[in-house]
Amino acid sequence: MTGRLLLVEDDERIRASMRMALEDEGYDVDEAASGEMALERFAEQPADVVLIDLMLPGMDGFECCRQLRRTSAVPVIMVTARTDTHDVVAGLEAGADDYVTKPFVAKELAARIRALLRRARSVDEPSVLTFGDIEVRPDEGTVERAGEEVHCTRTEFRLLCELATNPGKVLSREQLLDRVWGYDYFGDGRLVDVHIRRLRTKIEPDPANPRHILTVRGMGYKLTA
Amino acid sequence: MRGRRLRLESDVRRRQADPARDRHRRRWSRLGLRARVTVTFGLGALALSATMAGLTYLTARQFILHERETAILRQAYVNASLARSSLRTPNQNITQLLENLDTLPGSLSVLEQRGQWYADSPSVGERAIPAPLRALVVSGTPATQHFVLGGSPQMVVGLPVPSVGAAYFEVFSLADEARILRILALALAGAALVTTAAGAVIGRWASGRALRPLDEVSKAAETIAGGRLHVRLVAADDPDLSALAASFNRMADALLQRIEREARFTSDVSHELRSPLTTLVTSLGVLESHRDDLPIRSRQAVDLLTAELRRFQRMVDDLLEISRVDTGAAELSLDEVEVGELVREAAQASGVGDVPVDIAPAVVGLRLLVDKRRIERVVANLVDNAAQYAGGVTRFTVEPAPGGIRVAVIDQGPGVAPTEREHIFERFYRGHTSGRRGTTDGTGLGLSLVAEHVRLHGGRVWVESGVDNENRFVVELPAHGHDLTSPTVPIRTDGDLDRSLPIYPRSDAS
Repeated sequence: MTGRLLLVEDDERIRASMRMALEDEGYDVDEAASGEMALERFAEQPADVVLIDLMLPGMDGFECCRQLRRTSAVPVIMVTARTDTHDVVAGLEAGADDYVTKPFVAKELAARIRALLRRARSVDEPSVLTFGDIEVRPDEGTVERAGEEVHCTRTEFRLLCELATNPGKVLSREQLLDRVWGYDYFGDGRLVDVHIRRLRTKIEPDPANPRHILTVRGMGYKLTA
Repeated sequence: MRGRRLRLESDVRRRQADPARDRHRRRWSRLGLRARVTVTFGLGALALSATMAGLTYLTARQFILHERETAILRQAYVNASLARSSLRTPNQNITQLLENLDTLPGSLSVLEQRGQWYADSPSVGERAIPAPLRALVVSGTPATQHFVLGGSPQMVVGLPVPSVGAAYFEVFSLADEARILRILALALAGAALVTTAAGAVIGRWASGRALRPLDEVSKAAETIAGGRLHVRLVAADDPDLSALAASFNRMADALLQRIEREARFTSDVSHELRSPLTTLVTSLGVLESHRDDLPIRSRQAVDLLTAELRRFQRMVDDLLEISRVDTGAAELSLDEVEVGELVREAAQASGVGDVPVDIAPAVVGLRLLVDKRRIERVVANLVDNAAQYAGGVTRFTVEPAPGGIRVAVIDQGPGVAPTEREHIFERFYRGHTSGRRGTTDGTGLGLSLVAEHVRLHGGRVWVESGVDNENRFVVELPAHGHDLTSPTVPIRTDGDLDRSLPIYPRSDAS
């Protein structure tokens, strides 16, 4: 499976090595050495997946991701040297779909990219899912709340579809990682938590006291009408 | 009351120059501050009350005796003058006369006229009066004397009556006064004893109160020693205590800073290593994927590089993990999982999926709240350890344990020497088996991380030897190790950061 990647990384050597590795995996790789440059490049030629290093000179990776999110639902993978919750969660809050930590194995990164691309391309759900005043149209990739369109990233959308097709059923983090991100056992539960939180701010009337997407402590999440 | 107990160790050494003085001081010091304050208060109260009692007794005694003597003298004069007027009448029955005198109970009247002695109680007579006084009065000098007769205190007054050539004596008993004074002395001694005891009790109570802040300090110190480095004392209004609290807190701050600086250094080093590592790992990955195009010697070099780089990377990861534990930044991301299944999956992931996992029926389906990633690392590190030092894993068991679950990783041996069983969980520990390290991928941190991960779960890990000299690495995880409020619980809760122990008074505690 091929695709076009935008690689945002200020360290020239890392960039060069990643480029080689990802090209070996069959991707077209576009490079940017800063957040500003990345936004320019993306505007000129949109990529299928964007890889953003968190520590960038000038505009940092979080900001770059947020800016990107304003105009695009493109899958974003954060590349971070820190695995601390703070950085990971902040990156996901900024709109990233996934993250990898340095040093990463190119094959693992390629697998994640593949999973994101696959999800971006395959949709085979019923035409309309409804709960409360929310309408999800998997075919069209749209979500409406009380008749108004809600903008979701692709990961958020997939997550919502997954929950909505199993109303009332508790889905564990692993199940969601598996079905939404396409990961097996090794995903990070924080991915799910942050995306659920983001989804709540978009579709819940009161995100602090969710009515639709409920946390089942120690088990996972479930959707109720 | 000087704070001898608390002094710098260097001071103690310097003072040991004078052994005799020091021995004495040590004996006194061994009593403990509270005991010493109690004794000091008791002795103070004793000295004060004894002095007061003594003064009271002397004053009372003087007053009582003075009153009595005045009364005695007055009566003696009256009786002497009555005797004189009676003796002017000739042929008086002197004994009759003496008996008719108005005397105090228990007193004895004696009269001498021209060498002849008369008394109102003939059985006693002049013999009751000390001879020197008799002679003195008969020779014409009035006198008084205290003396003891038959065990009871007496006072005699002798008055010459020259106009009739006689001398009048009257002996009074002071037994009543003596009794009163004895009772008074007993009462005063009793009061002094009660006061002493009260002083000691007050001393004990006051020192207890005064030392109560020290209890708080010691509690705080223990809490800090227990690893909760953010606990601080709350300074009260009391200037003495606030100084103590301030210096204690300064010490704790300095300690925390030093620990954090050290841990941050490790963390920074690990992070800084990540950028070059990324380039290395990625580039080497590219080389590896073109391995078949390489000449044989280059291929060998790439293989060596790959193996060593993997080890290097693991070491950086482990160091980072350890530094997170050390800085208290480690967080548990808890999920409810079936531990047996988790072990099975972790074994699979560690490349030993064919090794049997015996799950006791009692724990099948039993779900525990654990951090999956950490438990998985625990299993992986134990598997690594077994592969490097003991011929590899032969079996996993998952069994119920009191209050939790017990996972054992069993290898082929040789068993860890009993003397090394505790040490092998230390960082970079190199025991007798370390000679085999040369050919391994070990980082020296694997087992210490096992211990840290398990500790974060509130569990324990140890190694025991089996019958065939195999090792059983046992991990015990508690079923209710954590009070959960959310699926993700940081070990260092924010509440703890702000929590301070009140120093004094207790009612200030919020």
